[in-house]
This record gives sequence, C-alpha cells and structure tokens, in this order.
Amino acid sequence: MRIPICCKKAAGLLAVLGLALVLLGPGPGRGETLEVIQPNQSLYPDPDFAGAPVGVVPQGARVQVVRQAGDWYKVDYQGMQGWLHRQAFPAPKQSGSGLSLPGLLFGAPAKETTSDEVALAGKGFTPEVESGYRQKHPEANFAAVEKVETFKVKPAKLDAFIKEGGLNP
Amino acid sequence: MKHRMKWLALLGAALVLAQGCVAAAVLPAASIAATGVSKATQASRPINDSEEYYVGRAVAARILSKYPLYGNVELTTYVNEVGEAVARKSSRPQTFRGYRFAVLDTQEINAFACPGGTILITRGMVETCASEDQLAAVLAHEVAHVANKDGINSISKARWTEVWTAMGAEAARQYGGVAGNLLTLFEGSIDDVFKTIAVNGYSRTAEEKADQDAVTTLSRAGYDPGALPQVLNKMMAKEKGASSGIFKTHPATGDRLAKLKAEAGEASPAKDEKVRTNRFKAIVG
Repeated sequence: MRIPICCKKAAGLLAVLGLALVLLGPGPGRGETLEVIQPNQSLYPDPDFAGAPVGVVPQGARVQVVRQAGDWYKVDYQGMQGWLHRQAFPAPKQSGSGLSLPGLLFGAPAKETTSDEVALAGKGFTPEVESGYRQKHPEANFAAVEKVETFKVKPAKLDAFIKEGGLNP
Repeated sequence: MKHRMKWLALLGAALVLAQGCVAAAVLPAASIAATGVSKATQASRPINDSEEYYVGRAVAARILSKYPLYGNVELTTYVNEVGEAVARKSSRPQTFRGYRFAVLDTQEINAFACPGGTILITRGMVETCASEDQLAAVLAHEVAHVANKDGINSISKARWTEVWTAMGAEAARQYGGVAGNLLTLFEGSIDDVFKTIAVNGYSRTAEEKADQDAVTTLSRAGYDPGALPQVLNKMMAKEKGASSGIFKTHPATGDRLAKLKAEAGEASPAKDEKVRTNRFKAIVG
C-alpha cells in the first residue's frame, strides 16, 4: 500500500518535534552548565534541606547539571556531586513571545506557578515565603543577614584556636 | 521506505512521550500536593529545621535593620571562633546551616539568639566581658537558647494551628490561597519570636535551663563555668536598676546567680585561662 505524502510529512514532523523537545527541554537539561548566583550554597546528599551538607559551592561557581527533580538540581562541582536548591541559580528566562513548545503541549507555565504554591503548602516556611516577606518588608536587612552567613571559621583555623587556648577539641 | 516512515513516526512519538514524562517528573503538581498534605498531617513536630532557619533569617533581618554590623573583621572572626568552640560542645552542635556569630555596632549591652543559629552580640556586651571565658559564657547561654528552641517555642500555639490548617485542609482543596495565608502566618511568627528575644524576654524557666546548659557546655569545651556568674555580676553592676535591653530579656536575679554559682562551683577548674585572657585582651582591649 502506498503511504500518502501527507502521512510521510506528518511522521517526519513528529520525529523532528520529538528530537527538538529532547534537545531543548522544559528546563535545564543533563550536561547544562549553570552559574551559582547566591553566596555559599550548600550541596546536599539528597534533594532535601534536612540532610547534612556534603560541601559548599561559592557564588560565581559554574556547576554541571546532572539531573533535575522538582526545585532541586543534582550537580557536579569540581568532581563533587550533590543537590542544589533552585534558589542558587538565576530565575529561568521567559521567551519574548511568552509561548514555548513544551508550554503549548504540556501547559508548563501554568504548572510552574501551581508547583510553587503547592511547595509552600507542603513545606511551610520556605524561600518563597521569605521572598514574599522581603517584598512586604523592604526595611528588613536581609543583605546584612547574608553577610553574617559568610562568617564561617575554617575547620583547620578553629582546631588551631582550640589547641592554642587549651580547650577541648 | 514504508518501514522507515513507520520507525520515524514511532521514534518521534516515543520522544514526545518521553519528554512529556520528563516534564511531569519536573513539575509533579498533584503528587507534591498529596505528599505535602500527608507530611503536614503526619509530622509530629510543629516546625522542621529548614523552616526554623527561615524564621531565624527574618528575625535577624529585623534586628539588623535596627543595629548595624560592627565592621571589625578581627573581632568578628574571634567571636566566631569562641562561639563555634562552645557551640560544638552544646546539646545541639549542628543546626540546618550552622551557627554564625556577629557583633552589632552599639554600646547597648545585649545579645540575641535567632532561631536556627544566628547569634548577634553587641559591642557593649563584648566590652563588658573581662576575658575570653566570660565571652564564651555569654555565647554558650545564647547557643543554649537556640539549642532549646526557646525563640521558636514562643510562636503562639494558636498560630501553629492556623499553619496546619493552611498546609493541610486548604492545600488539599485549593492552591490559590495558601501562599498568602502562609505569608501572613510567617509574619506573625516573626513578630512572636522578635517580641520574645528582643522585647519581653524568655520565661524564667527557659532562662534557668539556658544557664544550666551553658555551664555544662563551658565545662565540656574547657572554659571556666564560673565565668557565667562572673559576667552576670558585671552586667548587674554596670547597669544597676536598668529595665531595658538584656536586663529585661535576660534578668539576672539574685536567685539566678545563687543557682548558677552552685552549679558552676561543682565543675572542674579550667586550664590555660591566662593564654585565653591574653588573646582576648589583644583583640578586645
């Protein structure tokens, strides 16, 4: 049986469409490099703030995305792998037309908004709630808080301090 | 040719479907909602460590809008070294993002323990101390407030009931109102904690427990536990009859001092105090 030309075209289009979606994707994909824009971001063993951080990624560092799960990105930073929360990275860029193929097919923009709100419901007081608080209270000095969070004594320096003072390690 | 077209179509369809699954995995709105509600209703404690951290950040931001940071890097580093030396020997050596210590540029005598581990001490308070052991005593007391979650525990129980309602029932019904509702509750929680740590003070029970814990922590760290009653005496002498600042939030009553002296007296004496006092004087003056 002869395949009509319109079917051939449709099949070809579907293949191109599929490949384009895999290549472009709805968010940062495997292998993509992202810049960390927040200071001293903790790298977690799991996509959860509850675990003890396995390392720290400094502001301006570039990390390679291994995979994404919700608000978390599994990244590789100088051979060290772990999870960074999306607050470490710049907000995703919106396309000029406001339209995107994944969005048209899967309704991505609408889901994104819902995801944030549902995350609030699931986790309670989160970076998103803090963001709302900051907008409502511009007088609150979060810049100073972020500066204080950089005051961390290096373990070797602390050990030397303890030893010099005759304190218990 | 026919087979090639079929395979091409199948490949395309598979890729589109696979991408759809990735998109669903990235933004699993419904499943997150279900998990969130389940977590909210099953959790046995009112706040987790990351939430405590965000409350603490906002409380610190509020205090830091009133007092600027003291720009002396050497003193800030020293206070962090002393603070971390005691924090690691406390009943809660690790918090969500760790302990941080900062000096506020004011002659007022005060110290604030923000939930999650940010401890702010005024320049006036540092200068009231005569030795590293006394500075360690003040910081150990504040670390105990963080460890015992005294700030977080001051959030009213009624507010927690509202938080659960927002995170549970409302989340299950509709997403739209949750963000705004939680922001209002967050603001209220910040108010509750701020009032306690900066205006009204902790309960007497919380103060006495923080004293006891500080004595234990100082002993474990190798500092002189007797430094805590010493610095309290100095504070009382410096601002006798004062009813504001640390004298209101951490009142040093005769009873409190007597209990402390008895507890501290039982601890073993500290070594190398002279070395520590010398380095304190080299930095603080």
